[in-house]
Amino acid sequence: MSQLYEGKKGEKVLFMGNQAIARGALEAGVSVAAGYPGTPSSEIIENLADVSKDANMYVEWSTNEKIAVEVAAAASFAGLRSICVMKQNGVNVASDFLLHLVLSGTRGGMVLIPCDDPGALSSINEGEARQFARLLEIPLVEAGDFQEAKDMLKWAFELSEEIQNLVMFRSVTRLSHASGSVELGEIPQTEPKAQFNYKGFILDPVEGPVVSVPVEYRHGLQQEKLKKAEALFEESPFNTYAGPENPEVLVITSSGATLYSREAIHLCNAKDKVGLLKLGTTFPLPTKLIAKHLKTTDKILVVEEVLPFMEENLKVLAQELAPEVGQKTFYGKRSGNIPQTGELNPDLVAAALAGILGQTYAPQDQEYQTKAAQQAFFNAPVRDLTFCPGCPHRASFWSIHNVLAADNRDGFVCGDIGCYSMAFLPCGFSSLKTLHAMGSGTGVASGFGKLGQFGLDQPVVSVCGDSTFFHSGMPALVNAIHHKSDITMVILDNSGTGMTGFQSHPGLPVDAQGNESPALDIPTICRALGATVEVCDPFYPHKTQQTFHKLLEMPGVKVLIMRQICALSPEKKGKKQYEMSVDETICMGENCGCNKLCTRVFRCPGLRWDEEKKTATIDEVICAGCGMCAAICPSGAITRKEVA
Amino acid sequence: MKLFAQTQLLEDVQGKGLCVGCGACVDLCPYFTTYRGKTAMLFPCDRETGRCFAYCPKAEVDYDEVYKARTGRAFDGTPIGPHLETYKAKAGEKTAECTFQCGGTVTALISCALDNKMISGAVLTDSEGRMPKPRLVRTSEQARDCAGSKYSASPTLSVVNQEAKRGVRNMGVVATPCQALAISQMKMNPTDKPDFEDPVSLVIGLFCTWALDARKLEALLAEKGIEGKIIKADVPPPPAEVFVVETDQGTVEIPLAEVREIIPEGCSICPDMTSELADVSVGQVEGDAGFNTLIIRTQKGAELVKTAISQGYLVTETLDGDKVHNLATASANKKKRALAKAKEMGLLNTPDEEGRAAMRVSEGALNKIQP
Repeated sequence: MSQLYEGKKGEKVLFMGNQAIARGALEAGVSVAAGYPGTPSSEIIENLADVSKDANMYVEWSTNEKIAVEVAAAASFAGLRSICVMKQNGVNVASDFLLHLVLSGTRGGMVLIPCDDPGALSSINEGEARQFARLLEIPLVEAGDFQEAKDMLKWAFELSEEIQNLVMFRSVTRLSHASGSVELGEIPQTEPKAQFNYKGFILDPVEGPVVSVPVEYRHGLQQEKLKKAEALFEESPFNTYAGPENPEVLVITSSGATLYSREAIHLCNAKDKVGLLKLGTTFPLPTKLIAKHLKTTDKILVVEEVLPFMEENLKVLAQELAPEVGQKTFYGKRSGNIPQTGELNPDLVAAALAGILGQTYAPQDQEYQTKAAQQAFFNAPVRDLTFCPGCPHRASFWSIHNVLAADNRDGFVCGDIGCYSMAFLPCGFSSLKTLHAMGSGTGVASGFGKLGQFGLDQPVVSVCGDSTFFHSGMPALVNAIHHKSDITMVILDNSGTGMTGFQSHPGLPVDAQGNESPALDIPTICRALGATVEVCDPFYPHKTQQTFHKLLEMPGVKVLIMRQICALSPEKKGKKQYEMSVDETICMGENCGCNKLCTRVFRCPGLRWDEEKKTATIDEVICAGCGMCAAICPSGAITRKEVA
Repeated sequence: MKLFAQTQLLEDVQGKGLCVGCGACVDLCPYFTTYRGKTAMLFPCDRETGRCFAYCPKAEVDYDEVYKARTGRAFDGTPIGPHLETYKAKAGEKTAECTFQCGGTVTALISCALDNKMISGAVLTDSEGRMPKPRLVRTSEQARDCAGSKYSASPTLSVVNQEAKRGVRNMGVVATPCQALAISQMKMNPTDKPDFEDPVSLVIGLFCTWALDARKLEALLAEKGIEGKIIKADVPPPPAEVFVVETDQGTVEIPLAEVREIIPEGCSICPDMTSELADVSVGQVEGDAGFNTLIIRTQKGAELVKTAISQGYLVTETLDGDKVHNLATASANKKKRALAKAKEMGLLNTPDEEGRAAMRVSEGALNKIQP
């Protein structure tokens, strides 16, 4: 048992931000937690799932984020505390339900935890959940460090129950995935009872049915709740100030940028002239608190990541407060001092601050920077963003690419979200030609597949992972079938939510808490929907390609399931199926007839090019023993031996 | 021969729409493949020289060099090319009946060569649905299944390459003129491969005015509502101006003008109507559907024909002088048209500073052909 649940009040432990959030949920007495995996959020549900039986919680990996919020909302309606967790774009998926939920209001405390990914380190967008707080008109709170990550979550539940509405608790990658010291609090030993009351008057927020109508009435009510939250924010202990009474520059920041700002002030040696107002409650802004601080200075630097959310809200407030506090000069994203895209770091903030203070700031001297860049360029080996050794996706895309190239009708693949999103890169033989949201590959393909009327005669293929299939691939497939779109959907079934760490999904026989669950069979579902379905193993490329060619020639909706377990899957336990070897006397190397197919084109990291011998070799340490390179070697120099 | 590799091949042939899908570049390496009658590049190759370019009949073909290597004589533009004798011929009693295009001479010769173990196998073109499907046959029974013209470009040489890689030698190939040219280039081991062994010992050439793009032909037949199994297709002599498709459900005629639309561009620069680089060449006899024209070109070809006659596989008769004359005229016209077209496209004897040529022919040949 981990310290997550066993840790006693007063103990100080090193927690990853997401563990701190999970502990916060335990200390808040949360009964139900639901989410959909997505970096950087996944560890919250995982950690809670691990202790769920001891903590008497219900924890699930929902089919998608909208359903996660709905599941969590049910708990709230029944009087329990609940959280729902997702990455930033998960909120987009859930937003339709959310917009109605905030009108109907909640009962048991309910907190939505989106983990944003500034800089898109593990995402293909830089979306921000903060904007949703304004759109949904709900309170937004953001922790500035690991201790707060735990403590603020508990407080967020009290707030939610106070105003009887959803509260957003937003994290970012550097908070969720970095670690810090956290002093633990008490985990309450309660046995909450779930009961859904609906027999009261329709407008009764506790006893009546939970609906969003009458809309105008409830919308007004919701705005009153927001006002109440703002009043509570005025006194929030999570809004703190450090610095001189009348700073030359006031830095206003929140979330992960708090640490950057603190360091930047230190780097600029400006503790005496720069004040730091760190806000934990970022929407709605506490007017009185802001007014108090605006009065102390003329120059304000707003430090936040990605869009100028706080900056714009502050400016609106500053304008309203102008008669009281005077005209202020704001520095931030709109002034160009802070970039509007990407992650921040202490250097960027220090440079912005130094500029306003009339100082110069260089993180390193120029000579060192040049030298470091040269060293990196000339001496660091080139490392592609690539699939792991033995990854079935490499094998799948090998066949997908080769079939489409041989087919020679300019066929293309509409991509989707998973490790296989990388297939727009050379590791996937640059196969993906569109790449957007979860489930969108097949949706977009469904559209392309109807353009024959306008002369489009290119074969249309979509790819979709097994988890993505359940998340949002199914409605797209249904759409394609119903509209007789001509597409081939390839389901890359690697038996788990591979990219985020093998979380369960409805296709697997186990749930988040480790309980046996009915596994929904993808081929059966697709056949029942009306598609022509084939299943193949991508590690047998010849057979796979034959099947794919056959499907590609057929009209209508075809589904090809390329099924092979992820090379990193815990089930594989790192066991190699084959011992691979290269016969150097047969390897054609750079000669006409091969020209390094395995190391130049296929590029599995388990293969190395021996520059001296001019042959391929196997890197036995990282080779996963999948056998795929033997299947593609044109000369038969690579052989595989079954591992006993 | 100017040697280049994949990059230039793609630019010069695929890029200019000149690929006829002969299969010469296919299956030499993992980078070219053929599917449903079309040659496709799978992955780029960064070599500076390659057999793909060297074998291609549409890329930097030095006609003098190839003709000298194959026939011992430079390319001089003679209408039907270097040859020993001409006959009209048809299958003899020993050759079992099947669907022949004309007289069954090709099937007769291949059967004779296979039965007498003069070749280890023959690369012929069979059909798969409506697509040409080349394969290596080992017996005369199998050879008979492949009889009849497919009229569409077939990647025959891909099978030669595949089988050669597997170690098969002494193959016979039934080849169109472009394929006979590619084989001749292959025999020269242009990339100086140290372990090179010539896998082809007999080439039976087919007369060819043009072939049809296999996929487009399939689409055209579908458009015309032609169903059933195609038994054979033929272009009767002028002034018919039709393409006749015989299926198990009847015979359909398609106006030749529509068919011309689906001739690969590459055929338009081909100067060879009679497969001049084969051991023997076989085609129609004008106005005599029961016979073939047979041109014996090499000693090996002569021996095969001799054996075939003596064993009853083949029957030959004298080919009338006017038929020879007409064949020569048609051949000369094809040369003239092809060279004129290549010249127009800037692909004939292209000076180095202007790029690469599809074909290089001598001044003498040019004077004779008068494009």
